[in-house]
Amino acid sequence: MSREQYQIPTGNSQPSYGSAAGATAFERRDFGVDNSNTTMYYTCGDCAVRVPLEKGAPIRCQKCGARVLYKERTKRMVQFEAR
Amino acid sequence: MAPERTNTMWDHEFDVVRREKLFRHPPTDRSAYPALQAAVDPHIQSFNALFRSDDSPGLIDHALAEIGTKTFLDGDERAAPRGKNKLTVRYKSVTLQRAQLPPSNKFAKRREIFPAECRERHVTYRGKLTAVLEYRVNDGEPHEFVRELGPMPIMVKSNKCHLQNNSPALLVERKEESEELGGYFIINGIEKIIRMLLVNRRNFPLAIIRPSFTNRGPAYTPYGIIVRSVRPDETSQTNVLHYLTDGNVTFRFSWRKNEYLVPVMMILKALIETNDREIFEGLVGPPKSKGVENTFLTDRVELLLRTYKTYGLYSKSQTRAYLGEKFRVVLGVDDTLSDYDVGTEFLRKIVLVHLGCVDVTEEQGGDKFKMLLFMCRKLYALVSGDFTIDNPDAVQNQEILLGGFLYGQIVKERLEDLLSVSLKLALRDYLRRNPTISFISSTFAKDFPISIFRKTNENIGTALEYFMSTGNLVSPTGLDLQQTSGFTVVAEKLNFLRFISHFRMVHRGSFFAQLKTTTVRKLLPESWGFLCPVHTPDGSPCGLLSHLAHKCKIVTEPTNVSAVPRIAFELGTVDFSSAATSESVVVMLDGKILGWCTPKRCKMMADTLRHWKAEGGHGVPPQLEIGYVPPSNGGSYPGLYMSSSASRMIRPVKYLALGKEDFVGPQEQPYMSIACADNEIIPGVSTHVEFDPTNILSILANMTPFSDFNQSPRNMYQCQMGKQTMGTPATALRHRTDNKLYRIQTPQTPIVRAPLHNTYGFDNFPNGTNAVVAVISYTGYDMDDAMIINKSAHERGFGHGTIYKVKKISLKDDSRSRSAKMVTKMFGFAPNSTIKDSVYNQLDADGLPHVGRLVREGDVLCAWHTVSADYNGQLINRDGITHWERYKDSEVAFIEEVRVIGSETGNEPLQTVSIKLRVPRSPVIGDKFSSRHGQKGVCSQKWPAIDMPFSETGIQPDVIINPHAFPSRMTIGMFVESLAGKSGALHGLAQDSTPFKFNEEHTAGDYFGHQLMKAGYNYHGNEPMYSGITGEEFAVDIYIGVVYYQRLRHMVNDKYQVRTTGPVVPTTGQPIKGRKKGGGVRVGEMERDALIAHGTAFLLQDRLLNCSDYSKSWICRTCGSFLSVQPTVSPFIGKKKAVSTVRCRNCATRLDQIEDLDLMKMEGEVWEDGQGAQWIGGENTTQVVVPGALKFLDVELAAMGVKLKYRLDKKDAIRRGPLRPRALKPLQNGVTVA
Repeated sequence: MSREQYQIPTGNSQPSYGSAAGATAFERRDFGVDNSNTTMYYTCGDCAVRVPLEKGAPIRCQKCGARVLYKERTKRMVQFEAR
Repeated sequence: MAPERTNTMWDHEFDVVRREKLFRHPPTDRSAYPALQAAVDPHIQSFNALFRSDDSPGLIDHALAEIGTKTFLDGDERAAPRGKNKLTVRYKSVTLQRAQLPPSNKFAKRREIFPAECRERHVTYRGKLTAVLEYRVNDGEPHEFVRELGPMPIMVKSNKCHLQNNSPALLVERKEESEELGGYFIINGIEKIIRMLLVNRRNFPLAIIRPSFTNRGPAYTPYGIIVRSVRPDETSQTNVLHYLTDGNVTFRFSWRKNEYLVPVMMILKALIETNDREIFEGLVGPPKSKGVENTFLTDRVELLLRTYKTYGLYSKSQTRAYLGEKFRVVLGVDDTLSDYDVGTEFLRKIVLVHLGCVDVTEEQGGDKFKMLLFMCRKLYALVSGDFTIDNPDAVQNQEILLGGFLYGQIVKERLEDLLSVSLKLALRDYLRRNPTISFISSTFAKDFPISIFRKTNENIGTALEYFMSTGNLVSPTGLDLQQTSGFTVVAEKLNFLRFISHFRMVHRGSFFAQLKTTTVRKLLPESWGFLCPVHTPDGSPCGLLSHLAHKCKIVTEPTNVSAVPRIAFELGTVDFSSAATSESVVVMLDGKILGWCTPKRCKMMADTLRHWKAEGGHGVPPQLEIGYVPPSNGGSYPGLYMSSSASRMIRPVKYLALGKEDFVGPQEQPYMSIACADNEIIPGVSTHVEFDPTNILSILANMTPFSDFNQSPRNMYQCQMGKQTMGTPATALRHRTDNKLYRIQTPQTPIVRAPLHNTYGFDNFPNGTNAVVAVISYTGYDMDDAMIINKSAHERGFGHGTIYKVKKISLKDDSRSRSAKMVTKMFGFAPNSTIKDSVYNQLDADGLPHVGRLVREGDVLCAWHTVSADYNGQLINRDGITHWERYKDSEVAFIEEVRVIGSETGNEPLQTVSIKLRVPRSPVIGDKFSSRHGQKGVCSQKWPAIDMPFSETGIQPDVIINPHAFPSRMTIGMFVESLAGKSGALHGLAQDSTPFKFNEEHTAGDYFGHQLMKAGYNYHGNEPMYSGITGEEFAVDIYIGVVYYQRLRHMVNDKYQVRTTGPVVPTTGQPIKGRKKGGGVRVGEMERDALIAHGTAFLLQDRLLNCSDYSKSWICRTCGSFLSVQPTVSPFIGKKKAVSTVRCRNCATRLDQIEDLDLMKMEGEVWEDGQGAQWIGGENTTQVVVPGALKFLDVELAAMGVKLKYRLDKKDAIRRGPLRPRALKPLQNGVTVA
């Protein structure tokens, strides 16, 4: 497994990809992408609450109705060569 | 006890703890840097003047009064107005709401839209503009109705902005800077400001000689009087008086971009009921006055009066009716008015509008009459040569058109247009379609406001947004301005200095930029204290784009001067006057003649008013400008010209008689004696003294340390480079979405700085680094303004910078049609599409990149696919294709932020994302740095620390510069800064670098030299140093000290251009232009000349042919043409790529055209062309190398019927004349006899 593919296991890890990268990648290629009901988490720009959004859902914070959301920093390991 | 108010006093000290506290706990009462806000105030206050928050009428209310009531008639257009019904419409009020969410958004808890959200969402910060109108039919019952005029952009921190009067703490909570200034608009997420423009001074008759005036007609002379007359709503109308060769005077004005000329007598007679004697005495003076002796004047006035007799108009009503008849169509007034009323309307709308433009009274007419007479008198005085012209390029005769006022002018014009043009057309259209309906019918009552207004173009807000985003003025009247574009600029946040400079910027107008003469660009002494002499760019905008001196203020509202006419009367003005200025001079207030008095009394009056003004009370406001022009011999026309109106520049100076602050304007300043410093006061002459000599400099020019030691152009260069520095653009970086933002990672506060540095809070936005600089020629890599950076300093982070780029990716198309509102694309992978794993891993499941990821050229930034609605409204993808947006730059970047942007209504799925990329830019060889003295240089090496020279204390320089940078540039200020920085660093002091603090007795070198001595260093700043390579001491001591260094934004990474092969222009085959497209650098004529001069033919050929449009091409040796050759086609081998044989079609013979063909007798091979025709001959072809451009020329010439023939052989060379054998005569005595 390459470095980029490694993912720190988290509590709310999505089943779409992750733990066994090699196998799922293979399967995915077979059946194509199916992310019809993936839920991603975003941070509200106003009240900083975590906002779960499904694909195609209207963009707004459920709590305060803010219209700008930030994508959360990736949970993947991000490592660069320092030069 | 109430908590102490935030301290706003600053000196030059570091104040580390105080600043840290301010930064951690932004004050909740007021900003600690009020000077910063004051710098922007003219913009904000001019916008606030449009809609005042208190009950006083705003500019828009004044404008509505001036627009007045519009009347429309029903029935047949061509029929007489008699018996028709009358519809009158007028504006009652126009209001602007703050930015709010539309009611359709049911989700948001908070209804306000803050500026930060507009920036983040890349939309315009705007509020609803609403008009309340009123209509009456046949003067019956008035009916009120409301129209929405569209969303109008709002200025940030104005009285229509949510941020007005917010404390720093609240501003931070609202995602702004703690010292947010406002004064700009947010248009599509970009901050835009309206530039301040220099225009002619209002309500003051300027005497002008302009050669172009003679083009108006046969008798016209260059002499003229121009008055830019300004209405209370800040719109202006320029009136011009022209002098004709015979002594006559014509009145000129421009109306809706057309110019009209009227005899001035006609206007005089129309204004009031008058007679020739009154006009004569008004121009010349009462009998027995000195004016009557002026035969030059009396002759001309007599002629003026006599020639007017041809019109045969004697009374006021006759003249007005005549004017009304002529200008009825031009003014576009309604048909119900009589000619007399149209004439009155003409005088109201056009003639000297500052003296009355709404319901002009008899008295105001009299004021206009008196003013017009005065203008004529000044014109005659100018022509006679007794007085000189007023220079329209001097600040003395200029004022500033503020952004808010210009904005108001546009709003007014649009409002007027809506009623008088748009509504008129809509009504006409309605009546034409329904000819039976009259205004009194019930159908009309049903249709009137709503369905008829729907046909009009009532979206004023969008028009304003267009104006703000493009800077183009679309206007039927031209707004009395000389330009139609370039009114707005982007307030770039490159660094804070640049940002703040935008608000202090004053432009002369783009019309003057095209002028070939340089007179408008001159630095005139009149600008002293108002426009900074240093802070103007070099190059094309030089002198046209200047900046306000930092203490210069702009009056944004008229001051109360109701007591001044009475004071003037009590001080001895009279109502009659003589043309002789030795006898009587004018006393004028805002272009209204208060009266006349003797020159002596006038001086007394000016002095008294000045004293009362500085003292306060007496009804003379402190902002009043008392432009006393003393009598002179051939100077300006004397008088007392007072002004209290808005848009004037004023600046504070000390009034010596009272020791109090007094405000001085540009018109009065040239005639005053203001000492620069206390020691320059001349008793009995000086009336004022400057508070500080640095008051004449702009904010930026004040930041140059010890600028009085430098040669002046270097200070100008620093003002340029200060604005190009990579610095700290903002502290609310998280909430900014500027297209490009430069930032430096390790900035410091300068050790050497002026107190103004703290006053303006520049420590919140530091711009550079204190670097140890040695002035030494050390490695040879520091020639020609190169500088060497210590590699270890670089590794410690010296000058390390970052660029933030924001990419907005929107799936909506930009078209504004209703149908485009449909969602047709969505972010994410298309379901069931096959995606490469490598690509899939670059994105998250939502089709957006991971935050924090490194992206390289060609990496995927996001994925999207098309969608369409299925039978129950679900959006589904049908084609299964995933599209990609890729990162196209060649540099690596990191995904800093991904912003997911929803719609205003809060019910749309994801259509727009904005991705912020971070590009690290550590200094590399070729990056540009500069000190604060116009000493820029390019980094040429990162020299290893072990090889750097070191001093006896073990100090190594961070930067090495060459001593040759100094002799010709004479930036002594840099030496002084170096000394001051060194001693400041040694003692832990902040050094005050205010210019004009040192003098010959008390020199800077001595002051800082002693500080250095106290620290145990050489008095002169020199130190013995040792070579880092050999360890030997240098033969000379090296000048080493601490200088504040800025990193400029010009970096090689954005500029390098390299190419061997690449894209070419298809027609010529030469490389294309432009770095972005991979084009080449042009080897131009001069480079070519240099190569020829060096005799480097091979290099020349390489540049101009081999690396350019080298092309091998076939040519026929016989006919010498590129165009007649063609490759043969073999009938047996199909499509073969490689060209085997090329034949000349011109020299060949077609077989089927040869009579009695006998193949046996033919010589050569038969070949076939593309059409299957068989040919023979034309074999004499060859391949040559020529420039592609040559072939292109050949083709172009052929298209014009010109044939080019190339001679490939020597023997084909042209011979002059026929070849004739020439017999040589025998030699005679060794001399050839011809």
